[in-house]
Amino acid sequence: MSHKILKVKGGDVAESCNAMLKELLESKKIHALLVPQETPTKKISFPVLISNSDQLNSDIFAPVLPVSTASILSRITKFQAANKPIGVVMRPCQIRAFTELVKLNQANPENIVIIGVDCLGTFPLNTYTDFPEKKTPTKFMIDAFTKKTEDAEKYLRSACRVCKDPIPTNADVIIGIYGMDAEKEILIEAHTEAGKKLIEGLKLDEAKEHDRDKTVKAIHEHKAKHNAAFVKEKSSIKGIDALATFFDKCVNCHNCMKACPICYCKECLFESSVFDAEAYKFLKKAESKGLLKMPSDSILFHLGRMNHMILSCVECGLCEQACPNNIPLMDVFIPAAENAQKEFNYQPGKDPKEKIPMIVYREDEFLEVGEK
Amino acid sequence: MAEEVKEQKEHKKEKFEPKIVGFLCNWCSYAGADLAGTSRIQYPANVRIIRVMCSGSVDSVYILRALLDGADGVFVGGCHPGDCHYIDGNYKARRRMVLLKNILNTLGLDPERVWVRWISASEGQKFAETMKEMTEAIRKLGPSPIAKQWNI
Repeated sequence: MSHKILKVKGGDVAESCNAMLKELLESKKIHALLVPQETPTKKISFPVLISNSDQLNSDIFAPVLPVSTASILSRITKFQAANKPIGVVMRPCQIRAFTELVKLNQANPENIVIIGVDCLGTFPLNTYTDFPEKKTPTKFMIDAFTKKTEDAEKYLRSACRVCKDPIPTNADVIIGIYGMDAEKEILIEAHTEAGKKLIEGLKLDEAKEHDRDKTVKAIHEHKAKHNAAFVKEKSSIKGIDALATFFDKCVNCHNCMKACPICYCKECLFESSVFDAEAYKFLKKAESKGLLKMPSDSILFHLGRMNHMILSCVECGLCEQACPNNIPLMDVFIPAAENAQKEFNYQPGKDPKEKIPMIVYREDEFLEVGEK
Repeated sequence: MAEEVKEQKEHKKEKFEPKIVGFLCNWCSYAGADLAGTSRIQYPANVRIIRVMCSGSVDSVYILRALLDGADGVFVGGCHPGDCHYIDGNYKARRRMVLLKNILNTLGLDPERVWVRWISASEGQKFAETMKEMTEAIRKLGPSPIAKQWNI
Protein backbone atom coordinates (compact mmCIF):
# COMPACT_ATOMS: atom_id res chain seq x y z
CA MET A 1 0.00 0.00 0.00
CA SER A 2 1.30 3.46 -0.74
CA HIS A 3 -0.06 6.68 0.63
CA LYS A 4 0.27 9.96 -1.21
CA ILE A 5 -1.22 13.38 -0.82
CA LEU A 6 -2.78 15.51 -3.50
CA LYS A 7 -2.49 19.20 -2.67
CA VAL A 8 -5.78 20.99 -3.32
CA LYS A 9 -5.28 24.14 -5.34
CA GLY A 10 -7.40 27.16 -4.44
CA GLY A 11 -9.68 25.05 -2.27
CA ASP A 12 -11.27 23.51 -5.37
CA VAL A 13 -11.40 19.81 -4.59
CA ALA A 14 -13.19 18.74 -7.77
CA GLU A 15 -10.85 20.68 -10.06
CA SER A 16 -7.71 19.40 -8.32
CA CYS A 17 -8.89 15.82 -8.78
CA ASN A 18 -9.74 16.57 -12.38
CA ALA A 19 -6.20 17.86 -12.93
CA MET A 20 -4.80 14.68 -11.44
CA LEU A 21 -6.99 12.48 -13.63
CA LYS A 22 -5.91 14.52 -16.64
CA GLU A 23 -2.29 13.89 -15.75
CA LEU A 24 -3.11 10.21 -15.38
CA LEU A 25 -4.71 10.04 -18.80
CA GLU A 26 -1.78 11.90 -20.37
CA SER A 27 0.68 9.48 -18.77
CA LYS A 28 -0.75 6.79 -21.10
CA LYS A 29 -0.72 4.26 -18.27
CA ILE A 30 -4.42 3.94 -18.87
CA HIS A 31 -5.97 4.13 -22.27
CA ALA A 32 -9.26 5.62 -21.16
CA LEU A 33 -11.20 6.72 -18.12
CA LEU A 34 -14.78 5.96 -17.18
CA VAL A 35 -15.57 8.92 -15.02
CA PRO A 36 -18.54 11.16 -14.11
CA GLN A 37 -18.57 14.35 -16.15
CA GLU A 38 -21.11 17.13 -16.62
CA THR A 39 -23.15 16.88 -19.80
CA PRO A 40 -23.28 20.01 -22.02
CA THR A 41 -26.55 21.09 -20.38
CA LYS A 42 -24.45 21.57 -17.21
CA LYS A 43 -27.36 20.12 -15.29
CA ILE A 44 -26.23 16.59 -14.61
CA SER A 45 -23.17 14.38 -14.51
CA PHE A 46 -23.06 11.04 -16.29
CA PRO A 47 -20.24 8.53 -16.58
CA VAL A 48 -18.26 9.20 -19.76
CA LEU A 49 -15.76 6.93 -21.44
CA ILE A 50 -12.97 9.25 -22.41
CA SER A 51 -9.48 8.87 -23.85
CA ASN A 52 -8.80 12.43 -24.98
CA SER A 53 -7.52 14.35 -21.96
CA ASP A 54 -8.33 17.72 -23.59
CA GLN A 55 -12.02 16.99 -23.27
CA LEU A 56 -11.81 15.77 -19.69
CA ASN A 57 -13.81 17.89 -17.30
CA SER A 58 -14.64 15.34 -14.66
CA ASP A 59 -16.66 15.92 -11.53
CA ILE A 60 -15.95 12.89 -9.39
CA PHE A 61 -17.66 14.32 -6.32
CA ALA A 62 -20.89 15.21 -8.15
CA PRO A 63 -23.48 13.97 -5.64
CA VAL A 64 -25.63 12.13 -8.12
CA LEU A 65 -25.85 8.56 -9.40
CA PRO A 66 -28.03 8.67 -12.52
CA VAL A 67 -27.14 5.13 -13.59
CA SER A 68 -25.19 2.24 -12.19
CA THR A 69 -21.52 2.54 -13.18
CA ALA A 70 -21.21 -1.17 -12.45
CA SER A 71 -23.86 -2.00 -15.07
CA ILE A 72 -22.06 0.19 -17.59
CA LEU A 73 -18.79 -1.54 -16.86
CA SER A 74 -20.53 -4.89 -17.24
CA ARG A 75 -21.79 -3.76 -20.61
CA ILE A 76 -18.27 -2.78 -21.68
CA THR A 77 -16.47 -5.90 -20.47
CA LYS A 78 -19.01 -8.71 -20.49
CA PHE A 79 -18.54 -9.59 -24.14
CA GLN A 80 -14.77 -9.34 -24.07
CA ALA A 81 -12.25 -8.20 -21.48
CA ALA A 82 -10.92 -4.68 -22.06
CA ASN A 83 -7.98 -4.97 -24.45
CA LYS A 84 -6.38 -1.82 -23.04
CA PRO A 85 -6.34 -0.60 -19.45
CA ILE A 86 -9.34 1.50 -18.42
CA GLY A 87 -9.40 3.55 -15.25
CA VAL A 88 -12.86 3.56 -13.71
CA VAL A 89 -13.88 6.09 -11.10
CA MET A 90 -16.59 4.57 -8.93
CA ARG A 91 -18.44 5.11 -5.71
CA PRO A 92 -18.16 2.39 -3.02
CA CYS A 93 -21.62 0.95 -3.72
CA GLN A 94 -20.81 0.68 -7.41
CA ILE A 95 -17.51 -1.09 -6.72
CA ARG A 96 -19.45 -3.54 -4.57
CA ALA A 97 -21.95 -4.05 -7.38
CA PHE A 98 -19.12 -4.53 -9.89
CA THR A 99 -17.51 -7.15 -7.64
CA GLU A 100 -20.83 -9.00 -7.51
CA LEU A 101 -21.23 -8.79 -11.29
CA VAL A 102 -17.75 -10.27 -11.74
CA LYS A 103 -18.76 -13.14 -9.45
CA LEU A 104 -21.91 -13.60 -11.50
CA ASN A 105 -19.79 -13.78 -14.67
CA GLN A 106 -21.35 -10.58 -15.98
CA ALA A 107 -18.22 -8.43 -16.03
CA ASN A 108 -14.52 -8.96 -16.53
CA PRO A 109 -12.08 -7.21 -14.20
CA GLU A 110 -9.12 -7.72 -16.53
CA ASN A 111 -7.46 -4.43 -17.49
CA ILE A 112 -9.89 -2.52 -15.28
CA VAL A 113 -8.21 -0.25 -12.76
CA ILE A 114 -10.70 0.81 -10.13
CA ILE A 115 -10.32 4.27 -8.69
CA GLY A 116 -12.64 4.40 -5.69
CA VAL A 117 -13.87 7.69 -4.31
CA ASP A 118 -14.93 8.33 -0.73
CA CYS A 119 -18.64 8.94 -1.03
CA LEU A 120 -20.39 11.84 0.65
CA GLY A 121 -23.76 10.59 -0.53
CA THR A 122 -25.89 11.46 -3.53
CA PHE A 123 -29.05 13.43 -4.21
CA PRO A 124 -32.04 12.14 -6.16
CA LEU A 125 -31.67 12.83 -9.87
CA ASN A 126 -34.34 15.55 -9.99
CA THR A 127 -33.09 17.26 -6.85
CA TYR A 128 -29.67 17.44 -8.47
CA THR A 129 -30.86 18.89 -11.76
CA ASP A 130 -33.16 21.45 -10.10
CA PHE A 131 -30.97 22.15 -7.12
CA PRO A 132 -32.64 24.76 -4.90
CA GLU A 133 -29.44 26.18 -3.36
CA LYS A 134 -27.32 28.93 -4.91
CA LYS A 135 -24.15 26.83 -5.17
CA THR A 136 -23.76 23.91 -7.53
CA PRO A 137 -24.61 20.57 -5.89
CA THR A 138 -20.94 19.50 -5.90
CA LYS A 139 -19.78 22.72 -4.27
CA PHE A 140 -22.63 22.57 -1.79
CA MET A 141 -21.81 19.00 -0.86
CA ILE A 142 -18.09 19.60 -0.41
CA ASP A 143 -18.68 22.79 1.58
CA ALA A 144 -21.08 20.97 3.86
CA PHE A 145 -18.41 18.32 4.37
CA THR A 146 -15.46 20.63 5.01
CA LYS A 147 -17.51 22.89 7.28
CA LYS A 148 -18.92 19.82 9.04
CA THR A 149 -22.52 20.97 8.73
CA GLU A 150 -25.49 18.71 8.07
CA ASP A 151 -26.94 20.92 5.35
CA ALA A 152 -26.71 18.22 2.71
CA GLU A 153 -28.41 15.57 4.84
CA LYS A 154 -31.93 16.68 3.93
CA TYR A 155 -31.26 16.33 0.21
CA LEU A 156 -29.71 12.85 0.35
CA ARG A 157 -31.32 9.82 -1.23
CA SER A 158 -32.70 7.53 1.45
CA ALA A 159 -30.25 4.77 0.46
CA CYS A 160 -27.34 7.16 1.06
CA ARG A 161 -28.75 8.17 4.43
CA VAL A 162 -28.52 4.61 5.68
CA CYS A 163 -25.43 3.57 3.69
CA LYS A 164 -23.21 1.28 5.73
CA ASP A 165 -19.94 1.85 3.94
CA PRO A 166 -19.09 5.10 2.15
CA ILE A 167 -15.42 4.11 1.92
CA PRO A 168 -14.30 2.06 -1.09
CA THR A 169 -13.20 -1.55 -0.74
CA ASN A 170 -11.55 -3.60 -3.51
CA ALA A 171 -10.34 -0.47 -5.28
CA ASP A 172 -6.88 -0.26 -6.80
CA VAL A 173 -6.61 3.38 -5.86
CA ILE A 174 -8.67 5.26 -3.30
CA ILE A 175 -9.28 8.98 -3.45
CA GLY A 176 -9.94 9.69 0.20
CA ILE A 177 -11.39 12.76 1.83
CA TYR A 178 -12.74 11.34 5.09
CA GLY A 179 -10.35 12.16 7.91
CA MET A 180 -8.50 14.64 5.70
CA ASP A 181 -8.47 18.39 5.64
CA ALA A 182 -10.13 18.29 2.25
CA GLU A 183 -9.81 21.97 1.54
CA LYS A 184 -6.05 21.54 1.55
CA GLU A 185 -5.21 17.93 0.81
CA ILE A 186 -6.71 14.69 -0.41
CA LEU A 187 -5.42 11.20 0.21
CA ILE A 188 -4.38 9.14 -2.80
CA GLU A 189 -3.90 5.59 -1.65
CA ALA A 190 -2.79 2.65 -3.80
CA HIS A 191 -4.04 -0.71 -2.53
CA THR A 192 -2.79 -3.04 -5.25
CA GLU A 193 0.23 -3.38 -7.50
CA ALA A 194 -1.81 -2.04 -10.42
CA GLY A 195 -2.79 0.95 -8.33
CA LYS A 196 0.78 1.56 -7.24
CA LYS A 197 1.97 1.57 -10.82
CA LEU A 198 -0.81 3.91 -11.78
CA ILE A 199 -0.03 6.66 -9.30
CA GLU A 200 3.73 6.37 -9.67
CA GLY A 201 5.11 9.49 -11.32
CA LEU A 202 2.07 11.65 -10.59
CA LYS A 203 2.71 15.03 -8.98
CA LEU A 204 1.88 13.91 -5.47
CA ASP A 205 3.41 14.47 -2.05
CA GLU A 206 4.28 11.73 0.42
CA ALA A 207 1.61 11.33 3.07
CA LYS A 208 2.46 12.47 6.54
CA GLU A 209 0.64 11.43 9.69
CA HIS A 210 -3.10 11.62 9.40
CA ASP A 211 -5.93 10.26 11.47
CA ARG A 212 -7.89 8.74 8.60
CA ASP A 213 -7.89 5.21 9.97
CA LYS A 214 -9.47 6.37 13.18
CA THR A 215 -12.03 8.44 11.31
CA VAL A 216 -12.87 5.55 8.97
CA LYS A 217 -13.42 3.23 11.92
CA ALA A 218 -15.69 5.77 13.58
CA ILE A 219 -17.65 6.25 10.35
CA HIS A 220 -18.15 2.51 9.93
CA GLU A 221 -19.39 2.18 13.51
CA HIS A 222 -21.70 5.16 13.22
CA LYS A 223 -23.10 4.07 9.85
CA ALA A 224 -23.68 0.47 10.98
CA LYS A 225 -25.68 1.73 13.94
CA HIS A 226 -27.68 4.02 11.71
CA ASN A 227 -28.42 1.20 9.29
CA ALA A 228 -29.48 -1.16 12.09
CA ALA A 229 -31.84 1.48 13.45
CA PHE A 230 -33.37 1.87 10.01
CA VAL A 231 -33.87 -1.89 9.68
CA LYS A 232 -35.55 -1.95 13.07
CA GLU A 233 -37.77 1.01 12.25
CA LYS A 234 -38.89 -0.46 8.93
CA SER A 235 -39.57 -3.92 10.33
CA SER A 236 -43.06 -2.60 10.95
CA ILE A 237 -43.85 -3.32 7.30
CA LYS A 238 -45.10 -6.82 8.00
CA GLY A 239 -47.90 -8.94 6.64
CA ILE A 240 -49.75 -9.03 3.36
CA ASP A 241 -51.94 -6.01 4.20
CA ALA A 242 -48.91 -3.83 4.89
CA LEU A 243 -47.18 -5.04 1.74
CA ALA A 244 -50.24 -4.46 -0.43
CA THR A 245 -50.44 -0.93 0.95
CA PHE A 246 -46.72 -0.41 0.42
CA PHE A 247 -46.81 -1.49 -3.24
CA ASP A 248 -50.19 0.11 -3.90
CA LYS A 249 -48.79 2.56 -6.46
CA CYS A 250 -46.77 -0.05 -8.36
CA VAL A 251 -47.72 -0.14 -12.05
CA ASN A 252 -45.52 -3.14 -12.93
CA CYS A 253 -43.21 -1.02 -15.09
CA HIS A 254 -40.18 -2.99 -13.86
CA ASN A 255 -38.00 0.15 -13.87
CA CYS A 256 -36.57 -0.88 -10.50
CA MET A 257 -35.34 -4.09 -12.04
CA LYS A 258 -33.84 -2.28 -15.03
CA ALA A 259 -31.99 0.19 -12.80
CA CYS A 260 -30.67 -2.49 -10.46
CA PRO A 261 -27.00 -3.29 -11.08
CA ILE A 262 -27.49 -6.84 -9.83
CA CYS A 263 -30.50 -7.69 -12.02
CA TYR A 264 -28.53 -8.64 -15.09
CA CYS A 265 -30.83 -11.13 -16.85
CA LYS A 266 -31.30 -10.23 -20.50
CA GLU A 267 -34.83 -11.44 -20.29
CA CYS A 268 -36.28 -11.21 -16.83
CA LEU A 269 -38.56 -14.08 -15.84
CA PHE A 270 -41.24 -11.49 -15.13
CA GLU A 271 -41.02 -10.06 -18.64
CA SER A 272 -41.12 -13.47 -20.28
CA SER A 273 -44.25 -15.30 -21.30
CA VAL A 274 -44.16 -17.47 -18.17
CA PHE A 275 -46.95 -15.48 -16.58
CA ASP A 276 -49.01 -15.03 -19.71
CA ALA A 277 -52.24 -16.95 -19.48
CA GLU A 278 -55.52 -17.59 -21.23
CA ALA A 279 -58.54 -15.47 -20.39
CA TYR A 280 -60.22 -18.25 -18.42
CA LYS A 281 -57.31 -18.35 -15.99
CA PHE A 282 -57.64 -14.64 -15.25
CA LEU A 283 -61.36 -15.11 -14.76
CA LYS A 284 -60.84 -18.07 -12.48
CA LYS A 285 -58.37 -16.15 -10.37
CA ALA A 286 -60.73 -13.18 -10.16
CA GLU A 287 -63.55 -15.50 -9.13
CA SER A 288 -61.51 -17.16 -6.41
CA LYS A 289 -60.51 -13.83 -4.89
CA GLY A 290 -63.80 -12.10 -5.68
CA LEU A 291 -62.04 -9.48 -7.77
CA LEU A 292 -58.55 -8.77 -9.02
CA LYS A 293 -56.50 -5.59 -9.21
CA MET A 294 -55.00 -5.22 -12.66
CA PRO A 295 -52.24 -5.51 -13.66
CA SER A 296 -51.99 -8.38 -11.25
CA ASP A 297 -48.86 -10.01 -9.84
CA SER A 298 -47.02 -6.85 -8.81
CA ILE A 299 -46.11 -8.24 -5.39
CA LEU A 300 -45.12 -11.52 -7.02
CA PHE A 301 -42.69 -9.52 -9.13
CA HIS A 302 -41.15 -7.66 -6.20
CA LEU A 303 -40.86 -10.71 -3.96
CA GLY A 304 -39.61 -12.87 -6.82
CA ARG A 305 -37.01 -10.30 -7.79
CA MET A 306 -36.03 -10.02 -4.16
CA ASN A 307 -35.46 -13.77 -3.93
CA HIS A 308 -33.26 -13.65 -6.99
CA MET A 309 -30.99 -10.72 -6.14
CA ILE A 310 -31.17 -9.89 -2.44
CA LEU A 311 -28.00 -11.72 -1.36
CA SER A 312 -26.01 -9.55 -3.75
CA CYS A 313 -27.95 -6.35 -2.96
CA VAL A 314 -25.41 -3.58 -2.36
CA GLU A 315 -28.07 -1.17 -1.08
CA CYS A 316 -27.33 1.49 -3.69
CA GLY A 317 -30.98 2.50 -3.91
CA LEU A 318 -31.06 2.84 -7.69
CA CYS A 319 -34.32 0.84 -7.71
CA GLU A 320 -35.96 3.47 -5.56
CA GLN A 321 -34.61 6.31 -7.69
CA ALA A 322 -35.98 4.63 -10.82
CA CYS A 323 -39.52 4.29 -9.47
CA PRO A 324 -41.82 6.68 -11.35
CA ASN A 325 -44.31 6.60 -8.51
CA ASN A 326 -41.88 7.22 -5.66
CA ILE A 327 -42.37 3.95 -3.82
CA PRO A 328 -39.71 4.00 -1.07
CA LEU A 329 -38.36 0.58 -2.04
CA MET A 330 -35.39 0.75 0.34
CA ASP A 331 -37.81 0.47 3.28
CA VAL A 332 -38.44 -3.12 2.26
CA PHE A 333 -35.25 -4.08 0.44
CA ILE A 334 -32.71 -2.94 3.04
CA PRO A 335 -34.24 -4.94 5.94
CA ALA A 336 -34.64 -7.96 3.65
CA ALA A 337 -31.04 -7.65 2.45
CA GLU A 338 -29.63 -7.22 5.93
CA ASN A 339 -31.50 -10.24 7.31
CA ALA A 340 -30.82 -12.52 4.36
CA GLN A 341 -27.13 -11.64 4.14
CA LYS A 342 -26.76 -12.22 7.87
CA GLU A 343 -28.33 -15.67 7.52
CA PHE A 344 -25.68 -16.69 4.98
CA ASN A 345 -22.92 -14.67 6.64
CA TYR A 346 -22.32 -12.98 3.31
CA GLN A 347 -21.36 -9.41 2.55
CA PRO A 348 -21.77 -8.53 -1.11
CA GLY A 349 -18.79 -6.79 -2.66
CA LYS A 350 -16.49 -7.64 0.22
CA ASP A 351 -14.41 -10.52 -1.06
CA PRO A 352 -14.07 -11.08 -4.83
CA LYS A 353 -12.94 -14.66 -4.21
CA GLU A 354 -15.93 -15.64 -2.12
CA LYS A 355 -18.64 -17.35 -4.17
CA ILE A 356 -22.23 -16.13 -4.12
CA PRO A 357 -24.18 -18.24 -1.59
CA MET A 358 -26.72 -19.68 -4.02
CA ILE A 359 -24.18 -21.63 -6.06
CA VAL A 360 -22.34 -23.29 -3.20
CA TYR A 361 -23.37 -25.42 -0.22
CA ARG A 362 -21.96 -27.39 2.66
CA GLU A 363 -23.25 -30.82 3.52
CA ASP A 364 -23.38 -30.09 7.23
CA GLU A 365 -25.34 -26.85 7.18
CA PHE A 366 -29.02 -25.98 7.79
CA LEU A 367 -29.60 -29.50 9.08
CA GLU A 368 -32.90 -28.44 10.65
CA VAL A 369 -34.39 -27.83 7.18
CA GLY A 370 -36.38 -30.87 6.12
CA GLU A 371 -36.58 -32.25 9.64
CA LYS A 372 -39.13 -30.02 11.28
CA MET B 1 -81.45 -39.69 7.66
CA ALA B 2 -82.03 -36.34 6.02
CA GLU B 3 -80.98 -34.60 9.20
CA GLU B 4 -77.81 -36.62 9.33
CA VAL B 5 -76.90 -35.54 5.81
CA LYS B 6 -77.64 -31.94 6.70
CA GLU B 7 -75.50 -32.22 9.80
CA GLN B 8 -72.67 -33.69 7.80
CA LYS B 9 -72.93 -30.87 5.28
CA GLU B 10 -72.83 -28.25 7.99
CA HIS B 11 -69.89 -29.94 9.60
CA LYS B 12 -68.07 -29.88 6.29
CA LYS B 13 -68.77 -26.18 5.86
CA GLU B 14 -67.30 -25.38 9.24
CA LYS B 15 -64.19 -27.43 8.84
CA PHE B 16 -61.56 -25.48 6.97
CA GLU B 17 -59.86 -27.58 4.33
CA PRO B 18 -56.41 -26.18 3.58
CA LYS B 19 -55.25 -26.00 -0.02
CA ILE B 20 -51.70 -27.25 -0.24
CA VAL B 21 -49.49 -27.22 -3.32
CA GLY B 22 -46.80 -29.88 -3.25
CA PHE B 23 -43.68 -29.85 -5.41
CA LEU B 24 -42.30 -33.38 -5.38
CA CYS B 25 -39.03 -34.46 -6.90
CA ASN B 26 -39.39 -37.14 -9.54
CA TRP B 27 -36.80 -39.51 -8.08
CA CYS B 28 -37.67 -39.64 -4.40
CA SER B 29 -40.68 -37.84 -2.96
CA TYR B 30 -42.91 -38.39 -5.97
CA ALA B 31 -42.05 -42.08 -5.94
CA GLY B 32 -42.69 -42.02 -2.19
CA ALA B 33 -46.15 -40.55 -2.82
CA ASP B 34 -46.67 -43.20 -5.47
CA LEU B 35 -45.76 -45.90 -3.00
CA ALA B 36 -48.21 -44.46 -0.48
CA GLY B 37 -50.87 -44.71 -3.17
CA THR B 38 -50.07 -48.23 -4.35
CA SER B 39 -49.80 -49.37 -0.73
CA ARG B 40 -53.27 -47.87 -0.18
CA ILE B 41 -52.12 -45.75 2.72
CA GLN B 42 -54.71 -43.09 3.43
CA TYR B 43 -53.67 -39.47 3.58
CA PRO B 44 -55.58 -36.18 3.32
CA ALA B 45 -56.53 -35.10 -0.18
CA ASN B 46 -55.56 -31.51 0.58
CA VAL B 47 -52.31 -31.63 -1.30
CA ARG B 48 -52.18 -30.92 -5.04
CA ILE B 49 -49.06 -32.56 -6.30
CA ILE B 50 -46.84 -31.12 -9.01
CA ARG B 51 -44.06 -33.39 -10.15
CA VAL B 52 -40.72 -31.69 -10.75
CA MET B 53 -37.46 -33.23 -11.85
CA CYS B 54 -35.57 -32.09 -8.75
CA SER B 55 -36.27 -30.08 -5.61
CA GLY B 56 -33.37 -27.96 -6.84
CA SER B 57 -35.46 -26.94 -9.82
CA VAL B 58 -38.13 -25.34 -7.66
CA ASP B 59 -37.56 -21.61 -7.97
CA SER B 60 -38.79 -19.54 -5.07
CA VAL B 61 -41.04 -17.74 -7.54
CA TYR B 62 -43.16 -20.90 -7.99
CA ILE B 63 -43.71 -21.08 -4.26
CA LEU B 64 -44.48 -17.36 -4.03
CA ARG B 65 -46.86 -17.72 -6.93
CA ALA B 66 -48.76 -20.47 -5.16
CA LEU B 67 -48.89 -18.53 -1.89
CA LEU B 68 -49.96 -15.27 -3.52
CA ASP B 69 -52.62 -17.00 -5.58
CA GLY B 70 -54.19 -18.31 -2.40
CA ALA B 71 -52.53 -21.58 -1.42
CA ASP B 72 -52.69 -22.10 2.34
CA GLY B 73 -49.45 -24.04 2.31
CA VAL B 74 -46.68 -25.14 -0.01
CA PHE B 75 -44.81 -28.39 0.34
CA VAL B 76 -41.42 -29.11 -1.24
CA GLY B 77 -40.26 -32.70 -1.16
CA GLY B 78 -36.80 -33.85 -2.19
CA CYS B 79 -34.38 -36.74 -1.80
CA HIS B 80 -32.52 -37.05 1.48
CA PRO B 81 -29.35 -34.92 1.56
CA GLY B 82 -26.63 -36.89 -0.18
CA ASP B 83 -29.10 -38.94 -2.22
CA CYS B 84 -29.93 -36.42 -4.96
CA HIS B 85 -30.22 -37.95 -8.41
CA TYR B 86 -28.37 -34.90 -9.69
CA ILE B 87 -25.80 -35.11 -6.89
CA ASP B 88 -26.39 -31.73 -5.23
CA GLY B 89 -29.78 -30.37 -6.33
CA ASN B 90 -31.33 -30.78 -2.90
CA TYR B 91 -28.40 -29.08 -1.17
CA LYS B 92 -29.03 -26.07 -3.39
CA ALA B 93 -32.77 -26.34 -2.78
CA ARG B 94 -32.05 -26.31 0.93
CA ARG B 95 -30.17 -23.00 0.68
CA ARG B 96 -32.89 -21.54 -1.52
CA MET B 97 -35.58 -22.52 0.96
CA VAL B 98 -33.60 -20.98 3.81
CA LEU B 99 -33.40 -17.74 1.83
CA LEU B 100 -37.10 -17.81 0.94
CA LYS B 101 -38.15 -18.43 4.51
CA ASN B 102 -35.82 -15.69 5.71
CA ILE B 103 -37.45 -13.22 3.34
CA LEU B 104 -40.96 -14.38 4.23
CA ASN B 105 -40.05 -13.93 7.87
CA THR B 106 -38.72 -10.40 7.31
CA LEU B 107 -41.92 -9.45 5.52
CA GLY B 108 -44.21 -11.18 7.99
CA LEU B 109 -45.64 -13.66 5.50
CA ASP B 110 -45.94 -16.86 7.57
CA PRO B 111 -42.79 -18.85 6.67
CA GLU B 112 -44.38 -21.79 8.51
CA ARG B 113 -46.74 -22.24 5.57
CA VAL B 114 -43.79 -23.47 3.52
CA TRP B 115 -42.68 -27.00 4.38
CA VAL B 116 -39.56 -28.75 3.17
CA ARG B 117 -39.12 -32.48 3.79
CA TRP B 118 -36.78 -35.17 2.52
CA ILE B 119 -38.75 -38.28 1.59
CA SER B 120 -37.22 -41.21 -0.25
CA ALA B 121 -38.89 -43.50 -2.78
CA SER B 122 -39.31 -46.19 -0.15
CA GLU B 123 -40.91 -43.90 2.43
CA GLY B 124 -44.55 -44.11 1.40
CA GLN B 125 -45.57 -44.26 5.03
CA LYS B 126 -43.51 -41.19 5.85
CA PHE B 127 -45.09 -39.31 2.95
CA ALA B 128 -48.60 -40.10 4.12
CA GLU B 129 -47.76 -39.14 7.70
CA THR B 130 -46.09 -35.91 6.61
CA MET B 131 -49.17 -34.97 4.61
CA LYS B 132 -51.39 -35.65 7.62
CA GLU B 133 -49.10 -33.65 9.85
CA MET B 134 -48.87 -30.73 7.46
CA THR B 135 -52.61 -30.60 6.74
CA GLU B 136 -53.33 -30.46 10.45
CA ALA B 137 -50.66 -27.82 11.06
CA ILE B 138 -51.99 -25.60 8.28
CA ARG B 139 -55.56 -26.19 9.44
CA LYS B 140 -54.47 -24.91 12.83
CA LEU B 141 -52.90 -21.83 11.22
CA GLY B 142 -56.18 -21.14 9.48
CA PRO B 143 -56.85 -19.88 5.96
CA SER B 144 -54.04 -17.86 4.43
CA PRO B 145 -54.75 -14.14 4.74
CA ILE B 146 -53.37 -13.77 1.22
CA ALA B 147 -56.14 -15.90 -0.28
CA LYS B 148 -58.70 -13.11 -0.31
CA GLN B 149 -56.23 -10.26 -0.90
CA TRP B 150 -57.21 -9.05 -4.34
CA ASN B 151 -55.02 -5.94 -4.61
CA ILE B 152 -51.65 -7.63 -4.88
